[in-house]
Amino acid sequence: MSRIVLVLLGLVAAAALVALPAFGGLATLNLANKIMIAAVFALGFNLLWGQAGLPSFGHAAYYGVGTFATIYMMDAIDRGGAFPTPLLPLVGAGAGFLFGLVAGWFATVRSGVYFAMITVAIAELVSALAQKWEGLFGGEAGIRSIRTNWGPLDFQSTGSVYYLTLVWTLIVLLALYGLQRSPFGLVVRGIRERELRIRFLGYDAHRVKTVVFALSAAVSGLAGGLLAISDESASMVLFGGAGSAFVVLNTVIGGAGVFLGPVIGAALTTSFAYFGSSLSHFWPFYLGVVFVVTVLFAPEGIGGAILARWRRVRDGAGPLIGLGDLAGLAGAVLAMAGLVLLIELTGTICSEAYRAEIASLKGVWPPVRIFAISFAPLTPWPWLVGLVALIGGSRLALGAGRPILPRLFAGRPGPRADQTRPGESA
Amino acid sequence: MDTIVVALLNGLIYGLLLFMISSGLTLIFGMMGILNFAHASFYMLGAYLAFAATRIFGFWGGIVFGTLGVALIGLLCERTLLRHVRRHGHVQELLLTFGLSFAFEELVKVFFGPYAVSYPVPESLRFAAFSIGAVQYPFFRVLIGATAIAMFAAIFCLLRFTRIGLVVRAAVLNPDMVRALGYNVSAIFSGMFAVGAGLAGLAGAMGGAYYTTNPNMATELGVIVFVVVVVGGLGSLSGALIASLVIGVLVNAVVYVDTTFGDLLAKVGIVSAETARTLLNVPIANTAGVLPFLLMLLVLMIRPQGIAGDERV
Repeated sequence: MSRIVLVLLGLVAAAALVALPAFGGLATLNLANKIMIAAVFALGFNLLWGQAGLPSFGHAAYYGVGTFATIYMMDAIDRGGAFPTPLLPLVGAGAGFLFGLVAGWFATVRSGVYFAMITVAIAELVSALAQKWEGLFGGEAGIRSIRTNWGPLDFQSTGSVYYLTLVWTLIVLLALYGLQRSPFGLVVRGIRERELRIRFLGYDAHRVKTVVFALSAAVSGLAGGLLAISDESASMVLFGGAGSAFVVLNTVIGGAGVFLGPVIGAALTTSFAYFGSSLSHFWPFYLGVVFVVTVLFAPEGIGGAILARWRRVRDGAGPLIGLGDLAGLAGAVLAMAGLVLLIELTGTICSEAYRAEIASLKGVWPPVRIFAISFAPLTPWPWLVGLVALIGGSRLALGAGRPILPRLFAGRPGPRADQTRPGESA
Repeated sequence: MDTIVVALLNGLIYGLLLFMISSGLTLIFGMMGILNFAHASFYMLGAYLAFAATRIFGFWGGIVFGTLGVALIGLLCERTLLRHVRRHGHVQELLLTFGLSFAFEELVKVFFGPYAVSYPVPESLRFAAFSIGAVQYPFFRVLIGATAIAMFAAIFCLLRFTRIGLVVRAAVLNPDMVRALGYNVSAIFSGMFAVGAGLAGLAGAMGGAYYTTNPNMATELGVIVFVVVVVGGLGSLSGALIASLVIGVLVNAVVYVDTTFGDLLAKVGIVSAETARTLLNVPIANTAGVLPFLLMLLVLMIRPQGIAGDERV
């Protein structure tokens, strides 16, 4: 029964994706492209993080290498090379794989936190190189190229790029799903759980980890190749820390333990960045807060939460959405609204523009407009409202999952009065 | 000759500044097993807090405020956030501190804007400590170095010769036994976390004034600090000191090398003079940013546990 529902859901999603260019505008297609590229990148990252348990904090290096390799290949095609345009992402994947093989060999010499630090340092090495080596990476301006048509296929419109990206995203999804279910995937997960046993079984753990690293870098490079096709340019900004940070954010918020988790995370944060950046300068801060809250209170991510809920409903252990969930959701929204109010107020009155305005009004503080509502920053009310919403909302949200409403009426003391936290005694 | 001495001195002092930050990172790792991604953010927060407080308390007050403020922030992070995820394992702690470093950087932008702020060394401290040939060596640099050395001596004596240090070292080796003896191990760990954060804050308050104070300073320095602890060996104070000095000197000395990679390779005969002038026209002085990472890869190949690291890790 559940299998049929899943297949149906998949079909509906596929139909919607195929039909998107027919009714979506240019902006929608661009956003969809960005989401798919971020999703492929996050899937590649999660091969290493979710499957092998290796936390890489420098994956932007492989993404960027893929982008640059693809741009150079596009340039070669433009000058008469015979490489088929639809297969361009494979160039990115190949470059990522080769570089990942070398970098992975070094990084997987150590595991755990050492591994994390080495990946950061390798990414920084590449970034520093890209900044200095203008001959290859084009310096501040970066390098550009153009998409060339191939045979009957035309790649000039955004719609065609969308379909190309969609096809490659589906290929990556299927390939990674197959890899995860293959015997090799089992060995990789075995290394995550207990490396020593895998070694006793006769596997060369270092070699397996190097190969997984290279494969993960290849998928990241493929995502970079898709970016090159879509943007027709590459610059050293790609190698910056932001790229590495966002793929971690996407994967963890979406849920590393679920196959489609990174896709969910990529869709959410990319959309958030797309719409949030036009509303506020401080959207990365909100994203950071969401990430920290996810790590603190929902380590399985959104995907994990959905999966747990799905299992609960399937086993008849609970309703799809209970009263406590609604209260929790309301609390989360309230807390976020309070945080946004406080941060926007602070950010605005600290900005240069606002200081200049005060000076031009001879010391009078003008009202701060946030989402078409004016606030007077010198009165305590907006600050108080923000604080109360933030604190009250988070209390309500953190009580969710446990039956909070009955407790509110029974007037019991705080939620953790009688139990010690496991962290205290560890 | 004079320039070489100045370059070496600059490198030494930059290395000592690196040590002020990496010592806290390596101490916290040695004790709690936490690799604190947000440690370099403490350096940045120290600079910004000091900058904000300078207007009210003056320069020295700002430095004290930056140090204590960051120590308090570190304490709060440990007690309210890190403690909460400890049961989920070290990687979850890593993710949390990574998220914190991201959030701190953005928070600083909320208050101080995305560009560098002007947090200069005050006029009264801008004099030469001594001169080497024609070069006047600034006093404030010497002060940064002296602070780092004093700090190292203080930590070393604290850990080595006092009763608190004894308990701390015992708590690192066997926390359960120390707890059974009646010591509050969780308070000891929180205290050391705050001390480590405060040191990074102090480094930021002084380094921010001498170098620059901008929202990127955490990421820029953070990776170098990671290199320092990998090269030195995680958990080892003396390893961190050696690695900091080596990297500091290396980065500063190479700036004075006046040739390009292309020239070098063309002289050996690997590439043509044409390639040397176009594609490989990269001055070796430009590799200052790359060298620490190459050193790290080298260390990983021949001595993976670092200079003074424990082989069991």
